[in-house]
Amino acid sequence: MKVRTNANEKRRRLPRREFLYGLGASLGSVAFTGLLAAKEASPPSSRQGSAPASPLAPRKGHVKARAKSCIFLMMDGGPSHIDTFDPKPALKKRHLEEFTRGGEDKSAMESGKRYFVESPFKFRKAGKCGADMAENWHHLSAVADRMCFYRGCQAESVNHPTALYHMNTGQRFGGDPAIGSWVTYGLGSLNRDLPGFIVLPDLAYPQGGAPNWGNGFLPAVYQGTALRPQGSPILDLRPPAGISLEHQRENLDLLEKLNRKHLAKYPWNDELAARMQNYELAFRMQMQVPGILDLDEEDEKTLELYGVGEEPTDAIGRKCLLARRLVERGVRFVQLYAGTWDSHDYIGRAHGSLMKKVDKPIAGLITDLERRGLLEETLIIWCGEFGRSPDNGIRGGTAYGRDHNAKAMTIWFAGGGVKAGHTIGATDELGAEAVELARPIRDVHVTVLRLLGLDDNKLTYFHAGRFKQLSQFGGKVIEELIG
Amino acid sequence: MRDPNPGQRRRQSQRSDVRIPISESDLRVRRSDLRSPNQISEFRGPTSVSVSASVFVSVAFLLLLQQIPAQTRTDATPAEVLFATKVRPLLVEKCFPCHGGDPKKIKGELELNARAAMLRGGETSQKVLVPGKASESLLYLAVTWKDPDYEMPPKANDRLSEAQTWWIRDWIDGDAPWPEEERIEAILKAQSEGIIVATSGGLSEDWDRRRYKPENLWAYRPIVRPPVPQEFLPAGGGSSGEIDAFIHRRLDASKLEPAPRANRWALIRRVTFDLIGLPPSPEEVDAFVGDPQPDAGALARVVERLLASPHYGEQWGRHWLDVVRYADSSGFANDYERPNAWRYRDYVVRSFNQDKPFDQFVREQIAGDEIDPDDPEMLIATGFLRMGPWEHTGMSVAKITRQQFLDDITDSVGQVFLSHPLQCSRCHDHKFDPIPTRDYYSIQAVFATTQFTDRDAGFLESENQRDFESEESFLKRRIERYETTLKGIREKGERAERAWYAERGLEYAPRSALLKKGVPAERIAPRHLGLSTEDFGVERIARKNLIRHRWELDRFKPIAFSVYSGKTPSRRNVQQRLQMPKDPAQRGTLEKTAILSRGDPFSPAQRVVPGVLSCVPGPDKLEGLDEADAGISGRRRAFARWVASAENPLTARSIVNRVWQYHFGQGIAGNPNNFGSMGQKPSHPELLDWLAATFVQGGWSIKDLHRRILSSEVYARSSEHPDTSDVLARDPAGVSYAFFRPRRLSAEELRDSMLSVSSELNPQLGGIPVRPEMHLEAALQPRQIMGTYAPAYQPSRLPRQRNRRTIYALKLRGQSDPFLEVFNRPGSERSCERRDTSTVTPQVFSLLNGEQSYARALAMAERVLGETDSRESTVRRAFRLAYARQPQPDELDAALAHWKEMTARHRDLTFEPRTFPREVVRHAVEEMNGEPFEFTERLEVYEDYVPDRGPSDVGPEVRGLAELCLVLLNSNEFIYVP
Repeated sequence: MKVRTNANEKRRRLPRREFLYGLGASLGSVAFTGLLAAKEASPPSSRQGSAPASPLAPRKGHVKARAKSCIFLMMDGGPSHIDTFDPKPALKKRHLEEFTRGGEDKSAMESGKRYFVESPFKFRKAGKCGADMAENWHHLSAVADRMCFYRGCQAESVNHPTALYHMNTGQRFGGDPAIGSWVTYGLGSLNRDLPGFIVLPDLAYPQGGAPNWGNGFLPAVYQGTALRPQGSPILDLRPPAGISLEHQRENLDLLEKLNRKHLAKYPWNDELAARMQNYELAFRMQMQVPGILDLDEEDEKTLELYGVGEEPTDAIGRKCLLARRLVERGVRFVQLYAGTWDSHDYIGRAHGSLMKKVDKPIAGLITDLERRGLLEETLIIWCGEFGRSPDNGIRGGTAYGRDHNAKAMTIWFAGGGVKAGHTIGATDELGAEAVELARPIRDVHVTVLRLLGLDDNKLTYFHAGRFKQLSQFGGKVIEELIG
Repeated sequence: MRDPNPGQRRRQSQRSDVRIPISESDLRVRRSDLRSPNQISEFRGPTSVSVSASVFVSVAFLLLLQQIPAQTRTDATPAEVLFATKVRPLLVEKCFPCHGGDPKKIKGELELNARAAMLRGGETSQKVLVPGKASESLLYLAVTWKDPDYEMPPKANDRLSEAQTWWIRDWIDGDAPWPEEERIEAILKAQSEGIIVATSGGLSEDWDRRRYKPENLWAYRPIVRPPVPQEFLPAGGGSSGEIDAFIHRRLDASKLEPAPRANRWALIRRVTFDLIGLPPSPEEVDAFVGDPQPDAGALARVVERLLASPHYGEQWGRHWLDVVRYADSSGFANDYERPNAWRYRDYVVRSFNQDKPFDQFVREQIAGDEIDPDDPEMLIATGFLRMGPWEHTGMSVAKITRQQFLDDITDSVGQVFLSHPLQCSRCHDHKFDPIPTRDYYSIQAVFATTQFTDRDAGFLESENQRDFESEESFLKRRIERYETTLKGIREKGERAERAWYAERGLEYAPRSALLKKGVPAERIAPRHLGLSTEDFGVERIARKNLIRHRWELDRFKPIAFSVYSGKTPSRRNVQQRLQMPKDPAQRGTLEKTAILSRGDPFSPAQRVVPGVLSCVPGPDKLEGLDEADAGISGRRRAFARWVASAENPLTARSIVNRVWQYHFGQGIAGNPNNFGSMGQKPSHPELLDWLAATFVQGGWSIKDLHRRILSSEVYARSSEHPDTSDVLARDPAGVSYAFFRPRRLSAEELRDSMLSVSSELNPQLGGIPVRPEMHLEAALQPRQIMGTYAPAYQPSRLPRQRNRRTIYALKLRGQSDPFLEVFNRPGSERSCERRDTSTVTPQVFSLLNGEQSYARALAMAERVLGETDSRESTVRRAFRLAYARQPQPDELDAALAHWKEMTARHRDLTFEPRTFPREVVRHAVEEMNGEPFEFTERLEVYEDYVPDRGPSDVGPEVRGLAELCLVLLNSNEFIYVP
């Protein structure tokens, strides 16, 4: 017997629902509302492997989630742990002491003629927990008790793009899905009108570029959507100058007519139908996205809290505030870039001014989330792609900077599920290498997934002959970080 | 969908119970080519007596057995295996109770417990068993319940399933063998335990003893040209019909009706896009539609025309470039341009156009330099070996970046030529396939003497050298500017230093000279004296861009992005041409390849010599290489011979499967880069082998392969099916080929087609990369590279330079064109076996709002206006260009009305001419001190830029028509190939 599907069923059978990657689209008014499961479905698992039917529908995790969403503060360039959160008084005595290091496994970052560099910053104990913080963290020190400092993470590469790819995608060579893509793949988005994974880059894209937030082999719907800090947040979001929406509507009506005729020949072809819906979604987005980005809705006090409207905090302040607005609206994963911390010389000046730029905005973000009751359900991560060395290479003189260091760094966490007010792990006397609770990046990834309710071993996707996962081959949760 | 259905396979592969190769569920799996768990289509086998399925099953069995390597091969025939595993247990269960050995219970004087007894028969006169002829054997006819007089077993609830009746049929058709008990046991043992595959040896004996399911070894068995199922050969037609016979056999078994032949309007669009990636012109459509020849002959004529078109090589070369990950830059921190990579791109295009035998194409890319170092073409070909992202900076550890190359090329050679990712064997023996780590490093040893070089290689006559001068002078202008900047800053610094020394009564000398002399630090001026943050930043930008641009000047020189065989030189920062050493065998170290523990280059274990994939039939060593001392040169030549030999079953299957995929949107085996157990099994294994065998025997001609495929009925099938819902319900994976599945244009095809219908396309072939217009905000988007910011993207100056085919667009790993990216052009990090077609909203923004789209629509409007003399004919022309057909009356009316309405709107609109920035001011953070600074980058090209025509250049009539054209360019009919 031949079964004929009626028109409604056909509409419901759209297989490639990636067009739901709608920003600000009012889904209530379009035909396929029913596509998005209202109740939370199960997460995709290794047994399933392929994309879930409604890729952005919210899904429950594998384990109990401690946080609903994540704000990842990426300090690209590699901030120095020694000058921020991991004081090394022993360096004082050895300041400018010269030595030579070699070996075929050593990069130029570690070998040759070198000298030790003391930190130009004073440190103090902050908060009730007595966390070590450089004195120039004026605002962050006030929220020290909300933070959990981890000094054990070790990267593998001392090159920016490879280390950045590693921190973002779990693999050093680029082309794999970013952690935000994995999380969105696992949990969907809580907001039907926004992408699940949004990136707020600096004006200049980081080394390695957009693959740092790429979807890799996951479906395109999980790609990080970069909202550009200047110009159009999304390219071509608006019709060309002079063309009104009304004008454009007429074009869309003719397009719809032609497409409908064409579709009649291929009633089964869901891709064609999806493409048609996509035009309607896009039309709505044009009107709605700008509002989300409009910070004028915020009151004076809030703007002040983030340092919006003052220098040098305005740029990062805006991004931190936008990050809050996005997670507030249910965006699953926001990654924010604030670089570049690559201070090979004059670290006092270079790190000093960067700390000034991020201190108030980030502290403001924590405070703001807390007062809105969002901190508990938001996981905040602050890190770079690696730490910095206690010593510097002699390159035509000394300028008191630091080279890259894969063996030691500080990552701090705040919010949902982390052991706030603690410092976990330790580096050696000079800050050269993690010696306590030293764990690879993949363990940090697995821990982040766990806090968001995902089990890395179950969050897999079949590609190129095997089930792939963020940690590549599995990792261990760092239980000590979990509160 | 990129993703096959892993879940299902995982379940199968993890099942601990022992499986017998052919079971009912296997038949189902095999027939429906599982895509996803909910897509297991319920293909029903034939209910009438038909040889089709029997041939199918027998062939399947034959294949299973052929792939058993010598070590464990039993000489059992497929029918014997079927008997031992299926038929006998069935007889025991269903028949013996009444027709077994117990004389008291025998019914109808018929015994079925031995072959002789079956041959003897029973009380009926009809023969119970006619070996080789199931259709004449009562045993089979009875179990089918076709004849009401003979329905066996008699109880309805004992009745055999359809698949069970096929076992009986196939056994009889296979001559009904009845092996001895011992032999049955041996067969059962071999079948139930899986197959041991002989390899060069794993890291453990356990691994060596692993058993593989026969169906997972399909790709390694030798290619034997399977018999064409004669009964399914189509009658008449222009083709010899073999492909259709294989397809029909399966289609017939599925009981699905094929769609009728596509009409000529659809066909010419399909085949033109397919072969050259461009739409047919209205004149070409007319010629084909009006061709009095029968369909097949007329189509063959078009195919020949298209295969002879130089654009053929561009389209099919592009497919190959996806697989090898072509890019014009190195990726990573610096993303330096690879100034001579374009010659490899053109080599690929040339090779397809020349119909270079594929085996030769393979050998050239792997070992061209060893085959003939004096032939520039051979040197250019080896660019393949360097296609992966790679860099070596001052920060890199030489051994690590070297290993990165070795791992990359080992895996690439596997994926690209052998359809076998090898990376899984880097750290351990393969978990699912018979590929030991030893093989991985043996293949890696082939490349242990492969060294990068940018070699002198004179330009060939066929190479396009146009625009060298203008591009070179453009680059030189930038270089001069940076040199001037640098000079200014250095002089500023020197002035400050001189003042510093003068103040102290010291004599001025450059810093480096003083350091060299050992002058104490306090008597040397501080670094960066007198320079501002701005100066630091600008100095660094100028210095780094000079390095880049000076290297890029090599683009215009006769240099090949190539390799040589030699010892491994020590490397520092690679930021300029890698010269060919005078004696490659002298300096550096001869790498001794060893199995690396955990893949770590600092943990070498057992030494290995250059070798091959040992599970593949044929020689397990590289011929012509001394085993103890593989020598420096010749390793790749020997390896390439092995890859491209007729005996290597992977290579030929790999390429014919790829070609099939590009024609039909899906491979016969669904993962063209992975024929291992984790890849999808072929839907039509015999067809794949038939194509591969014919391909090799015919001299590896890709064009002949196209001819064979394109002349088939299945290719010409309509994409409109009278009963698509039924087909989709029963064959969601599309393996019945009951109708032709339309496809969306690729990113490049979309852009090229828009340029083509607007008549702006410059059809020139080859040459140095061009820079099409990119969305200005994306083009000027600052991006960090090592220590600084990459230069802004500046488009080529003239429309004819920009409006070239997209394959010639500069492809930077670190900066992709957003238009191409949203339409799923893959990145160049990894090999792309098949493109995605996702539907995401940024596509709408690009295509509907983007300046580029509008420019194409406007040019199209001007074109059709210029080619016609009435409003109606103008609109008709636009439809014909976009859709290869006339508009229908309602479409024509709507379009004319739209044009009018839009013209009215445009009368009230005025547009300013487009302006272009002469420079871009960037706000950056100086990494030295973390302070913000501004710098201005000149955009030289806009000094005398010739833009596309814009809305301010034309009146409201044209703009109104352009709106109509824009709608056409956005429509599904334009973007989908029928």
